[in-house]
Amino acid sequence: MSNKNKSSFTKEEELLLQDFSRNVSTKSSALFYGNAFIVSAIPIWLFWRIHMIDIYASLLSFIVVTFISTYMVALAYKNTKFVLKHKVAVKREEAVTREVSRKLSEDKKMSKKEKDERILWKKNEVADYEATTFSIFYNNALFLALVIFISFYVLKTFTPAVYPFYYKLYDSYIHIYIYIYIYIYIYIYNYIKGT
Amino acid sequence: MSALVRLAVFAVFLNFAASEGCTKPEITSVSYTTQDATIVTNIAFVSEFTFRCSGLPSDVPLYAEVGGSVFPAVHIGREKYQVSWTEEVGKARSGDYKVNVYDEEGYGNLRKAIRGNYEHTSPVEPLSTVIVNHPATYQGPWVNSEFMAAVLAALVWYLAFTAKSKLLL
Amino acid sequence: MMLVFCFQTLKAEESDASGRLLVSKQILNKYIVQDMDLIVKYTLYNIGNNAATKIVISDTSFNSDTFEHAGGQLKATIDRIPPGANVSHTVVLRPVRIGPYNFTAAKITYETGDESSKVQEAVSSEPGEGYIVAFRDYDKKFSPHLLDWGAFAMMTLPSLAIPFLLWWSSKSKYETLSSKHKKNQKD
Repeated sequence: MSNKNKSSFTKEEELLLQDFSRNVSTKSSALFYGNAFIVSAIPIWLFWRIHMIDIYASLLSFIVVTFISTYMVALAYKNTKFVLKHKVAVKREEAVTREVSRKLSEDKKMSKKEKDERILWKKNEVADYEATTFSIFYNNALFLALVIFISFYVLKTFTPAVYPFYYKLYDSYIHIYIYIYIYIYIYIYNYIKGT
Repeated sequence: MSALVRLAVFAVFLNFAASEGCTKPEITSVSYTTQDATIVTNIAFVSEFTFRCSGLPSDVPLYAEVGGSVFPAVHIGREKYQVSWTEEVGKARSGDYKVNVYDEEGYGNLRKAIRGNYEHTSPVEPLSTVIVNHPATYQGPWVNSEFMAAVLAALVWYLAFTAKSKLLL
Repeated sequence: MMLVFCFQTLKAEESDASGRLLVSKQILNKYIVQDMDLIVKYTLYNIGNNAATKIVISDTSFNSDTFEHAGGQLKATIDRIPPGANVSHTVVLRPVRIGPYNFTAAKITYETGDESSKVQEAVSSEPGEGYIVAFRDYDKKFSPHLLDWGAFAMMTLPSLAIPFLLWWSSKSKYETLSSKHKKNQKD
């Protein structure tokens, strides 16, 4: 995020922000890559069964593209999560504070500082959880919509028109499909990074 | 000229005598219609039939009447005939099509009936009738599934997008 | 010189009391697809002044290893076509092999009906070169693929529904917490 606003953050928020770097834990990284792989592999079904591309003939390109896609989509997850996490933390602040305070109200021994730390930790956890799940949902929805829309509607302009008599249906648009496929990932990655 | 008239009279006489004799026509037919209209511009109706009638000489010229239009049946072999016509995809109704079969005499009477006033003439009885059944015309799915999928995907994305905008407020 | 000659032949034909046939051969398809109907329509117009008789249409341009019969015969005889009349004949074939195919003319013989009663030979128009598309490609273009789309939906559903529901449950949990609090403050 931008540095110029940093001075306006409260002490508490700055503490929180330290936990809000783009670096994600191994656990959530595995979650991102697993999800990204699944959502990248699903369009193969679409290309194989509905676009009727001979995937056996171009198995290697499909594997390579799927792995590139996995990487790109995982990056998109991370970027969206990063953008969302702070906003979610601000939105949930009040509710989380209430929840934690209520739980800790019986515990008279705990100092105020310790309570504040508990609240901060919980707020971070909730924001992380919500930002992660929403980021996966949002990017999956965008990615699948783009795959369907581009493969059916944008590529239609590449297929030749129906001539009155000379009607060969061209069947091998595999290269265009693959390039479009890669384009989608790069687009998503850049789009999310830019917001 | 007189020779032509004589010939015509002779022909009429012959046919008259012949059709008098045809009381029990034997007719068996096989028909074919185009049902999948996704790749064709017209629907083809084809009826192949064998026709035999003890009172008529074999391989006599036959005529067919379908829905008001009259045309000759085409010979495709010994006692075998074919009647075929095409119709535009939109106009081809499904169901049974009655093909009335006439000999030369019936054909003449039919033409007279069509040309002249209908009320004066009694309906011309065909020698026999063949049914061509056209079950249905398939013109593609009623809704484009890829369009449905794209709309659905766009809807899901729109939902996600509005939720994201709310979060970023 | 050429013009005069043409005029003379035309005039000669007009005075000639003989039947003359023009034959068109059309293919009534938008696409030619393997294992699907190919409709061939022959239309015979008698543009002469006399009836044409004993008309024999014979089309040998469809290879038996490329086309199967579905309905109608490629060899047919019409007894008589009066002057000014037209007769059509339709045949339905099914291509079994894919690739380009040159659709050539059908041969027609008939008697012109004049005194000479000689057999006249004619050829139909040529539809020209066409391409027989594989059924797979046709299917790609026209089939609704409902089962395939259904399977696609089943595959995508978990990857959308699971993260959404997880997010939604957390969101509603904390939103109700904060709204309850606001309600309590109001009371």
